[in-house]
This record gives sequence, C-alpha cells and structure tokens, in this order.
Amino acid sequence: MRSMNRRYVVLVLLGLGVLFPAASDARIKLAALPQRVEAIIRLDNPDYTLIEEERVLTLQKGLNKVDFAWNGVSIDPDSIRLHILTHPSKVRLLNVSYPPNENALVWEISSAEAEQERVRVSYLLSNIDRLITYKALADKEETKMELKSYLVLRNFSGEDFAKAQVFLDDAQPFERGINHEETQQWLFLGQDQVPFQKIWRWDSLQQVWDPEKVQENVGIPVSYKIKNESASGLGKNTLSAGKVRVYQQDGQGSTILLGEDTAAPVSVGEDMDAYVGDSRDIVVTQRKMVDQTINVRRNTNNSIVLYDKEQQINAQIENFKDTPALLTLVQHMPQEWEMKDCNLKYTRKDAHTLEFEIALAPRSKQELNMHYYQRNIR
Amino acid sequence: MKAIPWSLPLIILWVSAAQAKVDLVSLPARDDVQLTIYNSADLTLVRENRLLTLKEGLNELQFSWANTLIDPTSLEMWPKADAGKIDIAELTYPPRTRNIGLWHIQSALSGQVPVAINYLTSGLSWRAFYLGTLTPDEKAMRLEGYVRVMNNSGEDYENAQVRLIVGKVHMIDDIAELARREYPYGRPGYDGYARQEVDRKEEAPRALMRAFEAVGMDADVLKEAKQIIKEGLSEYFLYTIEGTETIPTGWSKRLPSLEADSVPVVNLYKYEEERYGNFVVRFVSFKNDKQHKLGETPIPDGVIKVFRSVDAVEHLSYEGQANFKYIPVDEEAELNLGEVANVIVKPVMMDFRTQNYLFDNGGNVSGWEEVKEFKVEVKNTRGIPVKVEIQRNFGGTSWKIINSGDSGKYEKIDADTVKYALELPAKSNKEFKYVLTTAYGRRAER
Repeated sequence: MRSMNRRYVVLVLLGLGVLFPAASDARIKLAALPQRVEAIIRLDNPDYTLIEEERVLTLQKGLNKVDFAWNGVSIDPDSIRLHILTHPSKVRLLNVSYPPNENALVWEISSAEAEQERVRVSYLLSNIDRLITYKALADKEETKMELKSYLVLRNFSGEDFAKAQVFLDDAQPFERGINHEETQQWLFLGQDQVPFQKIWRWDSLQQVWDPEKVQENVGIPVSYKIKNESASGLGKNTLSAGKVRVYQQDGQGSTILLGEDTAAPVSVGEDMDAYVGDSRDIVVTQRKMVDQTINVRRNTNNSIVLYDKEQQINAQIENFKDTPALLTLVQHMPQEWEMKDCNLKYTRKDAHTLEFEIALAPRSKQELNMHYYQRNIR
Repeated sequence: MKAIPWSLPLIILWVSAAQAKVDLVSLPARDDVQLTIYNSADLTLVRENRLLTLKEGLNELQFSWANTLIDPTSLEMWPKADAGKIDIAELTYPPRTRNIGLWHIQSALSGQVPVAINYLTSGLSWRAFYLGTLTPDEKAMRLEGYVRVMNNSGEDYENAQVRLIVGKVHMIDDIAELARREYPYGRPGYDGYARQEVDRKEEAPRALMRAFEAVGMDADVLKEAKQIIKEGLSEYFLYTIEGTETIPTGWSKRLPSLEADSVPVVNLYKYEEERYGNFVVRFVSFKNDKQHKLGETPIPDGVIKVFRSVDAVEHLSYEGQANFKYIPVDEEAELNLGEVANVIVKPVMMDFRTQNYLFDNGGNVSGWEEVKEFKVEVKNTRGIPVKVEIQRNFGGTSWKIINSGDSGKYEKIDADTVKYALELPAKSNKEFKYVLTTAYGRRAER
C-alpha cells in the first residue's frame, strides 16, 4: 500500500470483517494489495472517463471482505462495479458497505472455494480526459494538405496507470501508460494528400459593405474546407471537435503558420471548416441601389396597413491576387421576399439566406445585381 | 450487544416504599431491533425489544439519548406480556437534565418482563439507485437496482432488521428539529424551539473485531446476496431486507434490491426545439410490467447510470445517467441520457410567405395565412439502427400540413404539435419536407 500522503486507488483483501479499531484509530486494513493486471481507460464519452481494471484476488473459502479505497482521486462511488470473471458461479458479491469519512467501500464476497479470482472493477474517474488537436500542413499551391490528428491525454486524476488500453470513439485502442500529472500527446491519424478548398467568405450581416467608408483595414475571412469522406483518405470515423492549426509550406523548405481555429465534431460525409485569417486581396463593395415602397394599401383612416418594397443590391467583387479564388458570398433576405432578377446563380440555404459561389479569375472583377421585392410588410 | 456509554442506556431504579432507597440494576440489552426507514422524510421508526427485570411495586426506568437524533416526544414503551399487571402510564422528563426520560412502572409482579420500545429518530436514510447495462445492439438492458442505507443517527444498530418505506409520508414536524429541542415539548411563551447543540464525539467508538477470527463460520456454504421482500401496505411499499444488518453510525451499506436481465428497451432519439433546444436527446425507455421482466412492484425513484456492453467479455462503455420518478407497475419509464452528437436532426425553413389576406370594413388586415416550407435532414452516424422522433410545434392552432420525402405519416400530439417518427439504418441519412400553412385572424375562424 502506498503511503497515506499519496493519491491512490487501492484494493485490499481483508479477512472476515472490516476491522474496527478501538478508540480513535483509523480503520485497519490488512493483507497484500492485489496488483492491477489490466487497465482500460475508456474515453468514448466526452464528459466522463470510465476506468476498467482487472485484479486477481486470493479468496478464502467462505466470507471475504475486500476494501476498495481511494485518496486524492475523485471517483463516483455509485459508479463502482465489481464483475467476477473467473468463477462467477462459485463467487457471490453479497453487499457493499461504505465506511464513514473515507473514500472507500468494502465488498463482502462469498466464495465456495479457496481460490484465486480475477475480478474487474469499473468506475467513473474525474480529472482524466482527452483533447483532440489537428495539424494541417498545406502545400504551397493550397490544394492538398497533410492532416495529422493528435490525441492528448491529460491525467490529473491522482492515479498512475503503468499500462492501459485507451479507447477513443470507434478507433482502435492504444496501449499506453500514463502517470498522475502527466500529459501525453499521440498521433492517431495521419493522412497525406487530403484535398481541400480554400474559401473566402463574405457575409452581408457580418462584413463591411463599403470598405472605402471605414478607416481600418477590411479583410474577408478565409477558411480551409476538407470533407470527411473516403475520397479524402478520411471518412472512417467522426472527426472529434478540437483545435486546428494550419501551416503552409513556404517553398523554401520551411513553413509558416496560417492560423488556427476550433473545429466542431465532423461526422462522416460532412465538412470541416477552419477559419485561418483574413484576406485583403479580395474586396467586396456592396450597396443598396433601390429601396422603394410600392403596393401601398391603406385603411379607411388613410393609415398604411400593408405594403411591399422594391430593392436592388449591387456588389462589386474584385480579386487582386495573381491566383484564382472561390468566394462564398452570403446574402440575408427579409422575412418575405420574391426575387425579380439576379445575374448570378445562388443556392437557397434557408428561407432567408442565399449563398453565391463566385469563381474569381486572377486579377479579375465580377458584379452581382440582385433585384427583389420585399412582400406584405405590415 | 455491546455497551455504548453514550447511546440509549436504560437504567432501572428499584424504589422502596418510602422512596428512600434506590437500587441500580444491570443494564438490559436490546434483544432485537427493527428499523423502518423512510426516504420521503428524514424519519425512522425504531422498535426495540428488551427484557426488563421488575420488582413488585414502583419501578423507575431511565432512558437517555444524548448524542442521538431521537424525538423524545415519540418515546413509547409497553409490556409484551402480563399487560394487565404492569402499568407504564407515566413518562417524565426531569428538570435541569437533558436527554433523559423516566418511566414510572407500576408492576404487580416481580421478575423479567419483555417490553417493546418505539421511537422516531432522524439521521437514518436510504435511497435507491440503479445500474443499467445495455446489450451491444441496445435492444435489451440488464437492470440492477440497489438501496443504499445510510446511518448518521449517532447510534450503532447491530443486527437490526431493516425495512424501507417507499412512498410519501405526510409529516408536520421535522424529527431532527424535535431531537434538537432543549425541552421535549418546548416551553410556554416561545414560538421557536430552544435548541441544544448535539455533543457528538469526533469518532464513534466501535467494537474491535479480530481479523480472521470468524473465518470459516460459513465456509461450507456459498452465500447468496440477501433478498428484499416487497409488499404493498396502504399507500406505501415496504421493502424488508432479509435477515439482519449491522450498520454502525457513519457507515452506509448498499444492498441489491432488483435484478432483471434482458429487459427489452426502446432506444429513442428525440428532437424538439421547444424542450431540448437544437440538440438531439437520447432516451432509453422500458415498461415496468411482466413483458419487460419487471412489474412485480413499483420501482422507487432514483438515479440510473447506463452502461453498454461493448464485447463478449462485457467490457463497458458509459452512456450516461438519468433521474427517474417513481414508476408504478405497468407504467413506462423514459430515461433521458442527455444530448448526443452522433444522431443529427437539422430542420431548415426553406421558404416563408403570407397569403390570402382579409380586410375588415375599416380596411385593416383581419385575416391571413402563413406558409412555411421546411426541410428536415436526419443523420444516423452510429453503427446500429436508431429510431428518431421529431416534434414540431406551430405558432397557431389552425393549420394544415403537406409532407414529402422520407417522413412517413405524422402523428398529431396536441393542437399545435405534430410528431414524425423515423427509423434509420446504421450510418444512414433521411430527408423529408413539409409545407405548413397556418391561418390567423378571420382566416382561423371556422
């Protein structure tokens, strides 16, 4: 047994009876500590970590008491389960007792024989968790990337794990040891030649309409988009949420950091977008050219009760780069609208959001003209 | 029975005719004790049997309860034999002493008399909790129920018969408050209770049990976990734990109360923005009936932790936990295991318009219709089939729906809510659309 000032989880086999000492002594625990022979750290639930450990108990014929105690670690006592593995028909767990003012419990076990019994103890352990981080290295042309994903295991649980199988989601388990206050980072996904799209995104609700009217620099957010599918060399599992750092080869044998973002979980078939920074070489200038009230209906008091509006939007889109660019331009529409005329093709994302995918040639300029009615305004 | 100096000693004083001579006799031990523990209130009914040695004439019996949480107004004692010859009519609480009661016993016989003593105490409690283990395909669950009995009463109860009450008992007084009163029934002129501090010792002394001394007592017998006998009583259910239990103060004990293997369960994912926000919430449901290998008694409320067996050797994955309410027989239980990210529901309003305006004589709008077109994408990223229920709430009560896509039929839940039920194979998607037309004002009138 470890010294009392250490954090620990211990399993102690007692004789019959929890030993109540006289007067104010601490509860006495006897016998050798059965060694942990196998441990599993299961991280598939993002909020809770389940530990399963197997130990071999030397049981006496008749009643046995096994003390499971922990100090300096946070275990949910109701989550503790004991599973008899070797002789489930000859060994019975009778009850569980919890001593006062201690992080411990005592299993009372009946055994038909004096024999060694392998048991599995499982419990929810706090302060041991996992993070996922991604590192993407884009080629100089910004068409393909090397994508690496790392599992970061942080063990501040108070418990040392000399060797454990670590399970994460659907992926194959790792075998690792990790001590208290230790953090480990492992590569668990590495994929070369992952195609990606570089996306410039201008949103009429979030970006400045007329950059000339503001003093500070105006940029357009740039993101890298990959698809979690087999064609990308991915698509086997959900990509967990985590921080994404994006680098780029600089063509001189080195790299630069483009930026970093936090990715949400990406299930198979879905896209992962990482916003890396702003571009000042794509400029959008948007103006409302017509805003006219029409079709006015009045009541008998001559008050307006219903009307429409005719509106025209003009956006000038300029690419000052020497390379082509794909701009996603997002327009937010009023509650009830009807398009009269639009010179560019769009996708209706929802009732009030339109997305234009605009391919810009190097050093080119395009124009969006959108003529629509806002209906039934009251 | 061990002698505990600070807990519940009984002292008999034999009083001579002239009240001058007082004889002290040995302490009568408890013969047995029964605890009936409630969980809807901090309340336990203790019944203990003792064998008193009485003399003919007046006997005084002192009962003290320092450092316990006993309600002194609940003390009651009666003879279990020769009732006509023994009169226990008077109980006094002496002045300027605390936690002491004196029974005045008029006995027409001399010798040993069995008596029963009842009192209420606080500090003992119990709660139910459960562990569920889903099969890998999540179609069935092994349900294990436990009761955890906690003793913080200040009194050690050895070899006590333990009974647990499932149900809500109505109480006017708080037993713990009554136990802390300076005077058992208070004092005139005081609305509140004068309280005394409970002089708890830091650590309750306990009997020393030698290691290994009793090993082999039952060595030839493979013991089974104790059964809990359940029976209905009035509006309550009474759980009686087989045999007796020793629960020293400060300790608690977990005992199995329920075990059912292969309980069929429905694994259901729900989406309803008004209740759960923009998240899919996972539910596991089962019915407390015989078809589900349950249904013998109600299931007390508690917390269940749900695991899933992930392989043939029963390694586990933790799925989540839920609180559930008391489940009467034949009632369905639905366990909310919380939000999930592996089943996705994305409803998107794709179009909105108003139409069919009506105007009153003053030219004001008096009726209209709103038309909303929704597209609902449902995705199952899990490796097993799932059932998904999507509830949609409308702003008005006069509406009609036209469906298309994989929705199947919808079920009307109430005046402004419908439910779509979908089944998705493993790792599959479905999509459906509906057009909702809602009438307002005069358009909503029939």
